[in-house]
Amino acid sequence: MEYFLHILIIAGIYIILTLSLNLIVGYTGLPALGHAAFSCVGAYTSSLLALNFGISPWFGLLIGAGVAVLFGIAIGYPSLRLKGDYLALATFGFGVIVYSVAKNWVSLTRGPMGLPGIPRFSIFGFSLDPLWSYLLLVTVFVLLTIFVLRRVVGSPFGRVLRSIREDEIASEALGKDTAKYKLIVFMLGAFFAGIAGSLYAHYITFIDPSSFTVMESITILLMVIFGGMGNILGSVIGATVLVVFPELLRFLGMPSSIEAPARQMIYGLLLVILMIKRPQGLLGRYRFR
Amino acid sequence: MPYQLLLNGIIAGSIYALIALGFAIIYRTVKFLHLAHGIVYTTGAYLAYTFFILLHIHPIISFFLSIILCALLGIAIDKSVYYPLRVKKASNLIFLLASFGVFIFLQNLIQLVYGAQILTLRTGPVKEGYHIFSAVITPIQIWILVVSCWLLVILWGFVKYTRLGKAMRAVSDDQVAASVVGINPDKTILSSFAIGSALAGAAGILISLETNIEPTMGFSAVLKGVIASIIGGIGSIPGAMLGGFFLGIAENLGIWKIQAGWKDCISFIILIIFLLLRPGGIFGVKTEKEQI
Repeated sequence: MEYFLHILIIAGIYIILTLSLNLIVGYTGLPALGHAAFSCVGAYTSSLLALNFGISPWFGLLIGAGVAVLFGIAIGYPSLRLKGDYLALATFGFGVIVYSVAKNWVSLTRGPMGLPGIPRFSIFGFSLDPLWSYLLLVTVFVLLTIFVLRRVVGSPFGRVLRSIREDEIASEALGKDTAKYKLIVFMLGAFFAGIAGSLYAHYITFIDPSSFTVMESITILLMVIFGGMGNILGSVIGATVLVVFPELLRFLGMPSSIEAPARQMIYGLLLVILMIKRPQGLLGRYRFR
Repeated sequence: MPYQLLLNGIIAGSIYALIALGFAIIYRTVKFLHLAHGIVYTTGAYLAYTFFILLHIHPIISFFLSIILCALLGIAIDKSVYYPLRVKKASNLIFLLASFGVFIFLQNLIQLVYGAQILTLRTGPVKEGYHIFSAVITPIQIWILVVSCWLLVILWGFVKYTRLGKAMRAVSDDQVAASVVGINPDKTILSSFAIGSALAGAAGILISLETNIEPTMGFSAVLKGVIASIIGGIGSIPGAMLGGFFLGIAENLGIWKIQAGWKDCISFIILIIFLLLRPGGIFGVKTEKEQI
């Protein structure tokens, strides 16, 4: 039962990450391959604040998300000048840089040794130690993300995003400041990814750079594509299936030295098959151009 | 002047140049970022390990065998993954993601077969190096430099002067026009994959003589190759070579005053600077405006 709750919590965190990336990739059509960088920033910011200054994780979560937004501006900036695979490469590069800084700035982040003993969330003095209470917290954040995302993509703002995706020049010709929209999209995506990062840090209570590699970014992107580009329900399904399904490998009695690469092999194969057979994903309509 | 760092940079640069050259040869004909190039490099190192250490085959024979198998792997990747996408006229981004998928799949396959730990091709103790100025160079490093420079020159000549090389350039300029004059684009693409992958395999074998090998080694290697290519102007053959040496030297001189772990960070900062300010590379090679 404990294990089952744990999987659900992890799935919830991935749902937030997938939804926030879907806003950038699926709705606006910007290929971003550095999403783990935002959750890395969020996780490290709130953990360091809690460990060094004793700041409550609730404030840490918000500050972490705020710092992630600043990184969103930095990573979104290339999207104003680059397109297609070159934009993918640039965002990817930012992902590597953030990971590399987390790994090498030892005096701040303790590098590969990681940060142990991160405090958990607490409400009115009650620590959210039992797993079901944490699952409740994560669920609240998932619903919040879905709510905000639905409002954003359903609004006139969301229509402009889709028009950028379909034909950027046309929406510029209609007087839309596409640069501004693209930056805001990156900021929004980074905000929720930052929240997901600090939810993760305060749940596992230990973080190290290896949780935020570029492979992680690609896994999140795979979840977006698998579920469906530009589809909220798709992202929820995509993240859940891709988190839960590989766990079945463990039930087959595989040792972790085989389970980890086997899981990655499935991800890789799935990515190739999706690209060849169904690049828009299960429920999506948009495909990369 | 830190001669040792400069020398390390030149040696790393020669490997980057080999990877970048293979990458550029493939990029010219297909026009997408073939990141699975990096896994061919890893495969080269692991095949050499299999033949030389596990099966005790003579080193020269095992290296040639590995290179040939790498070329075949390149062809297999193109046939099984890229060809169906080409038929569907998929976008560059879809090619890029599919090549990521191939990369992740094969890297973890290697990890499953050989394990995640580091392996080494070295059999004896490390020989003492020669002193040049205040730097030390080992015999193996001299071999790496000689072989890679020789490969670079041969390949350059090959692309410039042979019939197949000219066919490759023709396909890269205009696929339709090339097929009108009787060049088979699919065959040319396959041969560019074979040659580029053989080069990646050779680079993987050369580096495994010097350092340990591990399943994840190809990832940063191919990214360095891509960055080198972009620095030199993407798709340009001399540019890829110069970009490789430039990146190797910049990365190694960059860690003069800081720790070696920052190398990756330095090369990606160089990448982003180039992408934003000079997407055509140092020499400003013309690129398709739609893409950049």
